[in-house]
Amino acid sequence: MKHAEGFSKGLFRENPVAALLLGLCPAAAVTGRVIDALWMSAGFLAVLLLSSLCLSLLGALSPAAARDGGAGLSRGRWIGSLVITACLASCFDLLLRAFAPGASARLGIYAPLVAVNCIVLGRVELAAGGLSIGRSLRDAAGTGAGFAGALLLVSVVREALGAGTITLFPIGTFGGSLAVPLLAASPARAFVYATGGLLCLGYLAGASRLLSSERRRGESDRA
Amino acid sequence: MADVPVAGSLLVSPAPHIRGAGSSALMTWTVTLCLVPAAAWGVFLFGAPAAFVLLVAVGTALATELAVVLPFRGFTLGDGSAFLTGLIVGLLMPAGAPLHIPAAASAFGIVIVKQSFGGLGRNWMNPALAGVAFAHLSWGGALAKWVAPRGALPGTEALAPLEALRMVLAGHPAVRGSLLRVLADSGYPFSGIDGRVVGWINARLLAPLGGALPRGVFDLLVGNAAGRIGEVSVPLLLAGAAWLIARRIVRWQVPVSFVASFAVLAGVFGGLTEGRGWFAGGVFVQLFSGSLILCAFFAAPDPVTAPLSATGRYFYGAGLGVAAFFLRFYGSMDDGAPIAVILGNCFVPLIDRLVRSAGSGLGKAGAR
Repeated sequence: MKHAEGFSKGLFRENPVAALLLGLCPAAAVTGRVIDALWMSAGFLAVLLLSSLCLSLLGALSPAAARDGGAGLSRGRWIGSLVITACLASCFDLLLRAFAPGASARLGIYAPLVAVNCIVLGRVELAAGGLSIGRSLRDAAGTGAGFAGALLLVSVVREALGAGTITLFPIGTFGGSLAVPLLAASPARAFVYATGGLLCLGYLAGASRLLSSERRRGESDRA
Repeated sequence: MADVPVAGSLLVSPAPHIRGAGSSALMTWTVTLCLVPAAAWGVFLFGAPAAFVLLVAVGTALATELAVVLPFRGFTLGDGSAFLTGLIVGLLMPAGAPLHIPAAASAFGIVIVKQSFGGLGRNWMNPALAGVAFAHLSWGGALAKWVAPRGALPGTEALAPLEALRMVLAGHPAVRGSLLRVLADSGYPFSGIDGRVVGWINARLLAPLGGALPRGVFDLLVGNAAGRIGEVSVPLLLAGAAWLIARRIVRWQVPVSFVASFAVLAGVFGGLTEGRGWFAGGVFVQLFSGSLILCAFFAAPDPVTAPLSATGRYFYGAGLGVAAFFLRFYGSMDDGAPIAVILGNCFVPLIDRLVRSAGSGLGKAGAR
């Protein structure tokens, strides 16, 4: 139960995009096409999981004296943590350039920028701050999945309304792109522009607030 | 708008707190009524397509308002606000627009711009103009196709005067002379009536004085030209606006400072962008073509999205004129007035904060 909660927290109650309003730049910038959002989410999840793993391992291995008494991270540990996440983000960027040049061109600066993404930085502090490996990984998985879910939702709405298509990857005979009936003929282009991104994110955050306020009301009714 | 009773006798209600001129519903329906002549002229000029666009825009606005609001706040169509929003959306569309565009623009304005923020009185941006801006962002190409006015020569391509001017000036920069003459020389299809009326005036009245009016003056003056449904007839718009200002439903500060600041800027600097020099902006063409008059008198002064104080309204109106000038002369749009108004709407809370009236009865100490 508790393990599941560590994961689902990042997915819903503390969803980084919808509830905490973190990582809005990539969430608004790369959600114009579903496939871009998928690439971004995959890279983000990988960087988050691997950096959490490395940093908690490092924390478990380093002597207790280096842990700074729990009052935040020492400067040296911060720099070390940043080097690790930056390395992983660069790996993501380079792999993307090598194996998916199209996606790399569309994600642009947002792929290497995962290194300084505020969600990742927050996790870094948590993971390097002495969290157990298991908890840190669950946490990272939940947050990464929450980020991916938010991006996927926003990108499906934006691409369907704004371009009349849903672009995935080609599998077998499937060409990789679905046309949405009715909308495909004359889509509302505004949704693929930044306007539509901010609009959709606003409604996502609003829905998240509405849900959490109703849940709180439900909890206070039970108590 | 919903008034919230607090502690018995006190009422807390959202701005604007305006006294006089009856209820807000009566004000809104009066504004709607004053737009009817201009709308009727548009339908007369462009025929059935214009009527369909207006019907779809108003119908969608009413239907979406009903669907979104009925479960929460009850029946609100009586306040006239949704009808007026739909009507302004329709009036700002070209007559031949594919019908899903006015429908989407109305729905966007009502659902996203107005009701998402809490309905009438809490919408900080003009819903109709925001819907139109959304439509331009989404279907800009389809909205740049015009319908020729009644009585135009068959086979001529319909083009709104401002857009035609833009093309002519881009092809021949630094051309001198009045903009109307430039337009006429480029072969713009002014109507036959215009030719007869202008010819008669020139021959009988102005020839002895040694002057001559260019072709097109009559067409633009009465609104016999291609354009959006509601913007073409400036005299009918001004007549409606005069009634509203006389009844103090529209406060004159916003439209007058809007039009004045735009006219001064356009007149003095408008020619510079095309290399025509100073004082060559063509104020007459700029005011009598395009949606500036419609936006200035019927959308910008909307009491919900305009500043509360008279001083604030001067600043707001002047700012709208400046924005419309830059959008029209330096932007990619042929018009720019609707965008200027929704930009100005964003600054209204700031203006209200900076320009506050003194608390009554407190003298100088009450001023903040």
